[in-house]
Amino acid sequence: MQATSLTADPTRPGFWRGFFSALTGKSVGWAIGLAVVAALMIAPIFVPPLPVLFGRTLFIAIVLLLAYTAAGQWRSPPLPRWVVQLAAIGLTAPIATLAVYLVSTGGDFHELFGNPARVTGFIMIGGAALVFGMVLALGGLYRERDAQANAQALQFALERETLQRQAADAQLKVLQSQVEPHFLFNTLANVQALVESGSARAAPVLGSLIAYLRAAMPQLHQGAPTLGQEEALVRSYLELMQMRMPDRLAFALAIDPALRGVRLPPTTLLTLVENAVRHGIDPSEAGGRIDIGARRNGASVTLWVQDSGRGIDEAQAPGTGLANLRERLAATYGNRAVLTLLGVDPHGVRVEITLPADQA
Amino acid sequence: MSAITALIADDEPLLREHLAAHLARLWPQLRVVAEARNGREAVELFEDRQPQVVFLDVHMPGLSGVDAARSMVGRTQIVFVTAYEQYAVTAFEQGAIDYLVKPFDEARLGETVQRLQQRLQPPVLATAVDGATEAVLERLAGELRGRAEARRWLQWIKASVGTTVRLIPVEQVVFLRSDEKYTLVVWDGGEALIRKTIRELADELDPERFAQIHRSVIVNLARIAQVSRGVNETADVHLNGRSEVLPVSRSYLHLFRQM
Repeated sequence: MQATSLTADPTRPGFWRGFFSALTGKSVGWAIGLAVVAALMIAPIFVPPLPVLFGRTLFIAIVLLLAYTAAGQWRSPPLPRWVVQLAAIGLTAPIATLAVYLVSTGGDFHELFGNPARVTGFIMIGGAALVFGMVLALGGLYRERDAQANAQALQFALERETLQRQAADAQLKVLQSQVEPHFLFNTLANVQALVESGSARAAPVLGSLIAYLRAAMPQLHQGAPTLGQEEALVRSYLELMQMRMPDRLAFALAIDPALRGVRLPPTTLLTLVENAVRHGIDPSEAGGRIDIGARRNGASVTLWVQDSGRGIDEAQAPGTGLANLRERLAATYGNRAVLTLLGVDPHGVRVEITLPADQA
Repeated sequence: MSAITALIADDEPLLREHLAAHLARLWPQLRVVAEARNGREAVELFEDRQPQVVFLDVHMPGLSGVDAARSMVGRTQIVFVTAYEQYAVTAFEQGAIDYLVKPFDEARLGETVQRLQQRLQPPVLATAVDGATEAVLERLAGELRGRAEARRWLQWIKASVGTTVRLIPVEQVVFLRSDEKYTLVVWDGGEALIRKTIRELADELDPERFAQIHRSVIVNLARIAQVSRGVNETADVHLNGRSEVLPVSRSYLHLFRQM
């Protein structure tokens, strides 16, 4: 599943994985380096030899690093994560120092707190651990925030690019020829039959084909057609189909003449009518009828294409035509255009599109 | 010489007439004894009239020409007629099956007629049931239907809204939640109750796109914004652009483990 890797929730294995990936060689290096510096700084005023001091500072540094990293893995902390991480340092520094001193005194509290030199040492090492730890932690947090900002900027750039590509794709799809070879050659075969038989219908049918082809060819510089133009295109297409299947196709157009000036994305109505023929009427032995209409509803216009064909099977893959149309409507009107599919009793499909009518 | 009988099957009447007219001119001894408007009629008329030659349009409503031919192989001479079905033409060539591409010219039809006449010369070379041809037809029939059968997962949800039946493309569905014996469908355009149970829907929806995350909840994976861990080995699913938060129960939590 694609979504899971993006939305993963850290359960136990996730915690350890995050923990170890946050524990980089670089962070361990910094801890060791600072332990060396701290040991060198305190060596002149401390009695124990340098290797022992280094052992102590190293121990404290590593414990602090582990505490800081572990606190960073807490996914939904009650306070901001950086507060939790700094608090972990503040809490761990004295505890780790105390542990070091308890080891050196053999676990004897009296020996530790009764000896002023040891108390001074404890305060110095603990204080140094606190200060160094805090400084390093703040540095680490700052860099982390920087990296996050970079990642986010990259993510935004990626999303923007994806959107641009999708817009270009949608445009390209429209520009690609809408004419299916199967439709074209079958229609030409019919025209050929009419011409060869000397039928008087040949000329008007050829006229319909020319009108359809002209409208369906890619149009680079023409803007949105009017509903009147779409109506003429759909009529040409349906007349061709009716010539091909006279016993199986009936149709009627009921478009309010007052709406003929409304502009809409190219081939909006044609896509719906072609779908009605291809998926509704053509696969059905009995055929059916197609009703096309447009009506104003206050500030919006409703277009519909209804067929009494085979209907949609629940497992039938949606055609690309409808998906492209949805994309084009969304690109033009945002969410002010609504495309709805309805089942028709006893069989068939009704598609309704509601558009804002301000283009009228 | 007795007449040769033929059947023409095409859902487009002008094309049936056109082919019949050309055949009458090129092959006067041929008698078209039946015309069929779809594959089912073609099979019925074939059984009734037993024609020696059959012209079958590939693309017909209901039963396709290829499907219809499968019951005729070996019992007649079959010629397929097709408009730009490149994959079909390729298949016909593999099976050495005769075919015409629409729109055809008379010269091309003339070649077909000659071939048919040769094969029908006595003694009729019984087109022995040729295994290769049968295999090609079977594969092609599967391919033609295939587009219908490859789609196994639910693509549309039919939901009654008021007096109408909405057809909702599944990609618009955000999530589904069981509501006693009904299921609540929540999609971009609203909400509706359907009769299918969550269990049925879990079987019918594409598991690449939908996941059951709770005994009573199925979610569209593409709509998940994030998953946050809750107490006691559960989690919550947050959705893109919606306020609902969906529960993930323990037995479905593995879906969201880090990969």
